[in-house]
Amino acid sequence: MGPGEHHCHSGVYSLDAIGIGVDMQEAILFYILGSLAVVCSLGVLLSKNPVSSALYLALTMVGLSFVFVGLDAFFIGMVQLAVYAGAVMVLIVMVVMLFDLKKEEDSFSPGFFGNGLKVILGGFMVGAIASVIAYSTEMILSAPKITQAEPVDMSVKALARLLFTDYVVAFEILGVLLLLVAIGAVALSRIPGGTHADD
Amino acid sequence: MLTTDAVLSVGLNHYLFLSALLFSVGMMTVLLRRNLIVMLMGIELMLNAVNLSFVAFSHYTQNLNGQIMVFFVMTVAAAEAGVGLALAVNVFKKFKEINIQQFEKLKG
Repeated sequence: MGPGEHHCHSGVYSLDAIGIGVDMQEAILFYILGSLAVVCSLGVLLSKNPVSSALYLALTMVGLSFVFVGLDAFFIGMVQLAVYAGAVMVLIVMVVMLFDLKKEEDSFSPGFFGNGLKVILGGFMVGAIASVIAYSTEMILSAPKITQAEPVDMSVKALARLLFTDYVVAFEILGVLLLLVAIGAVALSRIPGGTHADD
Repeated sequence: MLTTDAVLSVGLNHYLFLSALLFSVGMMTVLLRRNLIVMLMGIELMLNAVNLSFVAFSHYTQNLNGQIMVFFVMTVAAAEAGVGLALAVNVFKKFKEINIQQFEKLKG
């Protein structure tokens, strides 16, 4: 069964019938979600209010999670939605609310010349990465190992099996790391003073 | 050089370009902003861009190890956000604002 005849029998959500193939569907999804992610990340960079920065970041995370789903990484996409767009964003927004940061005059670092230099260097970095990508991916993907005879199991089940066999030590160490971080964050926040610094 | 086929058939390159763009925007956020929390958001953005290239490589080479790495990166990023925000709370307690310039006064 080729990639083009995947949805033919279902009929309900078949876009093939009106001449939009699977490649085209992937392209449309990619461009919509990719531009959403890029525009929202620019919103993080440019908005002066930290609360709207945080909300733009949440939108970027949501867009990226759907890009992950489009790449057949269903578990990673859902974890991204739950952990990043859920937990981490709630943490950040709560801290921002705690601080009352609305009046932010000098939110960008000073120096017109220095900032221009930083932007130019960032542009150079995009160009360098892009040219490296353009020259090297042919080489990577045409390596002989990629074209396996039988399809590889990429399901969530296979991911779980890999995580709990080959990577089980790293997984346990990650648990210890999270415990340390929890203790460390509590210890840092317990330094006398409280959020109302005169106590 | 830019043909319609290269635009319309999305491949690994497209995802890597998107990842490079997001990484650079995250880097700009860290470089240009002075608010500590917004800089943390820039770091999250960079980590997410790296995650995107991991997932793209994992999909196009049919290898699950990349997704495992994304799982680990996400956990470490959550840990980093926790500690970073705790530090931000401390800085705010001392100086009543969380400008990155206050960090140089944190001695001892």
